[in-house]
Amino acid sequence: MKFLLMLLWALSTPILANTGVAVQIQARLAAEARAADATFQGFSVQRGEAFYRDRHGDWSCATCHTDHPAKGGRHAVTQKAILPLAPSANPERFTDPKKVEKWFKRNCNDVLNRPCTAREKGDFIAYILTVRP
Amino acid sequence: MKRVWMVGVVWVFALSVWAGEHRYGPYPKLYGQECASCHVVYPPELMTAAGWRQVMQQLGKHYGSDASLDAGPQAEISAFLERQASRRAKHAPTEASARLSRSNWFVHEHGQTPPPKVSFAHCEACHTGAEQMDYSERGLRLPAGYRQRGD
Repeated sequence: MKFLLMLLWALSTPILANTGVAVQIQARLAAEARAADATFQGFSVQRGEAFYRDRHGDWSCATCHTDHPAKGGRHAVTQKAILPLAPSANPERFTDPKKVEKWFKRNCNDVLNRPCTAREKGDFIAYILTVRP
Repeated sequence: MKRVWMVGVVWVFALSVWAGEHRYGPYPKLYGQECASCHVVYPPELMTAAGWRQVMQQLGKHYGSDASLDAGPQAEISAFLERQASRRAKHAPTEASARLSRSNWFVHEHGQTPPPKVSFAHCEACHTGAEQMDYSERGLRLPAGYRQRGD
């Protein structure tokens, strides 16, 4: 029993630590979203998933990160392999707030031709955290 | 004995040059971190300083993608690229966007058109050692029917 508990602890810690940073990022984004819109009610997994799948021009997030972001993808231009985006499949993801902002900045410009709003980013993270391999 | 060694070293060196031993790096960690997410690390030695300057000034519109950097890494990587850059004319950019794949050297080695469904940015598609910065002929796997040089 003790062994089982230890195993469970060992397996769950990386995931917990990982979503911890994502949740901190979301808290900051929630404050920004509230400041931009007083009627803001919190982030939505459904909105995040729709945002992830919708084509906003030529591309969607799924163009490179695939329909199922727990899978590895390919860069639409260079074809370089991209590691899975969902933290459940790749615990490195969403562990560095600076890196997260860098890629939101780049990829939102690529896909939407504009920066993403705090609500869009928060919804996106809400969705990504629910994706299971 | 010393002489035998020397001859041996020179011979091995000559052989590796003859065999097309094209290995590069290692490079600073920051360069790989910031410039090898969307494509493999490109050897700075394959473009002139003027070319790298042009590339680094247009990172916000980097061949159809936003590859912008914070000011710190931007300056550090620019300095590194210019320090390591080629001084040979064949590595000079031939257009304002300074695409490495349009330099005289690149076109001489690869022609103007990549194989079907392959991007010239995807070095590792044919250079199987590209992720380890090994571009030797030994690791080259060309698609059937693709002519390597001269269109």
